[in-house]
Amino acid sequence: MDGGERLNVVEWMQEAPRPIRSLLIANRGEIACRIIRALDDLGIRSIAIHSAADDGAMHVQMASQAIRLDGDSLQETYLNGDRIIDIAKTSGADAIHPGYGFLSERSGFAAAVVAAGLIWVGPSVGAIDTMGDKIAARRAMLAAGVPVIPGEEVAIGDDDEIIESLVEAAGSIGYPLLLKASAGGGGKGMRIVREPKNLQQEFAAASREAVTAFGDGTVYIERLLEKSRHIEVQVLADSYGNVVHLFERECSIQRRHQKVIEEAPSPVLTKTQRDAMGDAATLAASAVSYEGAGTVEFLLGQNGEFHFLEMNTRLQVEHPITEMISGIDLVEQQIRVAAGLPLPFCQDDLTIRGHAIEARIYAEDPANGFLPAIGPLAVFRPPEGPGVRLDTGVREGDEASIDFDPLLAKLIVHASDRDAAIRRMHRALSEFVILGATTNIGFLRNLVTHSAFREGDTTTDFIETHFDSGRPISTSLSDSETKEIAGKSLTGSIPAILASAAESFGLHRTRAAASAGAFGDAAGEAGRGGPNDPFQSLTRRYP
Amino acid sequence: MEYRDSAGYRWQVRLAGQPAAVASLEKDGERVEVGNICVERDVRSARLWLDQGDGRQLAHAALVGEEWWIHIEGEVHILTRLEPGAAIEETDSGALIAPMPGKVLEVYVAPGQMVSAGDALLVLEAMKMEHRIQSAVDGEVVAVHHVEGDQVDAGAVLVEIAETTENEA
Repeated sequence: MDGGERLNVVEWMQEAPRPIRSLLIANRGEIACRIIRALDDLGIRSIAIHSAADDGAMHVQMASQAIRLDGDSLQETYLNGDRIIDIAKTSGADAIHPGYGFLSERSGFAAAVVAAGLIWVGPSVGAIDTMGDKIAARRAMLAAGVPVIPGEEVAIGDDDEIIESLVEAAGSIGYPLLLKASAGGGGKGMRIVREPKNLQQEFAAASREAVTAFGDGTVYIERLLEKSRHIEVQVLADSYGNVVHLFERECSIQRRHQKVIEEAPSPVLTKTQRDAMGDAATLAASAVSYEGAGTVEFLLGQNGEFHFLEMNTRLQVEHPITEMISGIDLVEQQIRVAAGLPLPFCQDDLTIRGHAIEARIYAEDPANGFLPAIGPLAVFRPPEGPGVRLDTGVREGDEASIDFDPLLAKLIVHASDRDAAIRRMHRALSEFVILGATTNIGFLRNLVTHSAFREGDTTTDFIETHFDSGRPISTSLSDSETKEIAGKSLTGSIPAILASAAESFGLHRTRAAASAGAFGDAAGEAGRGGPNDPFQSLTRRYP
Repeated sequence: MEYRDSAGYRWQVRLAGQPAAVASLEKDGERVEVGNICVERDVRSARLWLDQGDGRQLAHAALVGEEWWIHIEGEVHILTRLEPGAAIEETDSGALIAPMPGKVLEVYVAPGQMVSAGDALLVLEAMKMEHRIQSAVDGEVVAVHHVEGDQVDAGAVLVEIAETTENEA
């Protein structure tokens, strides 16, 4: 609950066309906590919603007010748009912030929020719809002059016609190419075609798969950019037509299309490329009259050409690295824009300072196919110090459960340059103690110290190329591996020695440890209650 | 104390002295020579200091079920106890016993009462002196077996206390 006196609403909000004095967060976990912190900074009342499973969650305890939604499923709770709007109205919220995921890109929800007379912290329904539809988005980008990945939809007609248009399309798009089902995603109907001679066969198969999965055999053909870099640009736009970009983020290190490490700025972009991509991103945002914070994703090919991939019409998980290098609080700006105020800066005011890296800490087991891990967070001690930021929605004592996303925390570091940031990330990861649930921290440490990462050799197949089951494949051994080989037995014995010591000190009997400490005796047993001492406590001695 | 590590090796460790030093170490039944290795407890919870002769290193330890999770040098290791239940159960009640025959002079507590470590529980007169028996733990008095005036034998259970676990309000 709201601890202590909150400051008054920040001055600039008091003059806003649509003042926001209280805001409901339609989300949970770390992003809900992140938003609440921005609200606390601004003196805005925060209203959290939660399911029963989240009764003791951090975001619930941080908010000024928390309201529980009945029900067990996501549909009944965090995805229950109607109920959430009701709660917003009855709790007196002026606005709703959807966070990321959940309802953040559901235009229906955005429309309902606005129709209910509430302020939606996000772009218009039209922008969400256009950018949410692959075909519509491409069309809008082509019209705006934003480079898109060469691609075409091949309509279904009679066989001869298909073959002709197919060959023509493939010819103009170029090989290697990717066949996708137009009607849906998830890899269904996806096929790579490297040579013209395989085209027809693969097309037929892709179309059949699409019919089975989506009832629509229309196939989309796109140029495949291999060994490309996934680079995204952060944009901010207000309702007065001002659009700026806050530089790029490099998110190439992914595992099964899930981001693992992100950094800003990208280690490879030249100033020219950065300016070009930034301009393209602001052009994309203007094309849909965007308002608020959004991200335009590009694929940067090996030849230096970049192409529009998609636009995310919401705040992204990795937004903190942009905040670190630009000095701008993106959530604060989202709220400003939603309140009807203009952006307080223009493109020329924005510069990059230093380098930031984010590592996503997941409760997962790299040695076991990265399967989600569960367990109590018996010890959860994050790193601290200069240039270290932790965004999380969990604390020591919480449980890593199967119910929600296995993302435990985002560890962000900022330093004067990339090398310094890598060293700082390694230090921070080494300091981060999580016991009770397996995490990918060890894997992340190996990743950031890998020579290929240090060289900025970050492409989308980085993890597959350099790691196997979470262990580095390359011949360059990490420090711990070298030590292990040198003094194998000894290194292996240390954990067992520590476990024995912990056991004999009664570390698991926290009360015993706490009272021993309170008596100022940090080394070994307290010395009280010995068999020859009747004057002190006469507790039974445990073996 | 015996543990199995994640590589499947069985470790048997004997510690002695204060601070605890490794007295003997066996890996899969075979003795392993180690240098001078000491471990000290830290005042704050879940922390240990390891000294292998070249400076102290901070380690963290937590027991989860039958597994000791150890963090040292940025890495996590899991040691599984090979004698489950051999160590202390958290819900064991603390039984205070008379170290010698005597007479109960005063009883300060009653069942159901909450006590803190260091609180006086009763006074026993033995060997012509008065002995103040105090609690070593925070907890709830589960049973008081004697009243003022009772004569007790050595080894008699005087008071039983159920130590409270970490779940504080």
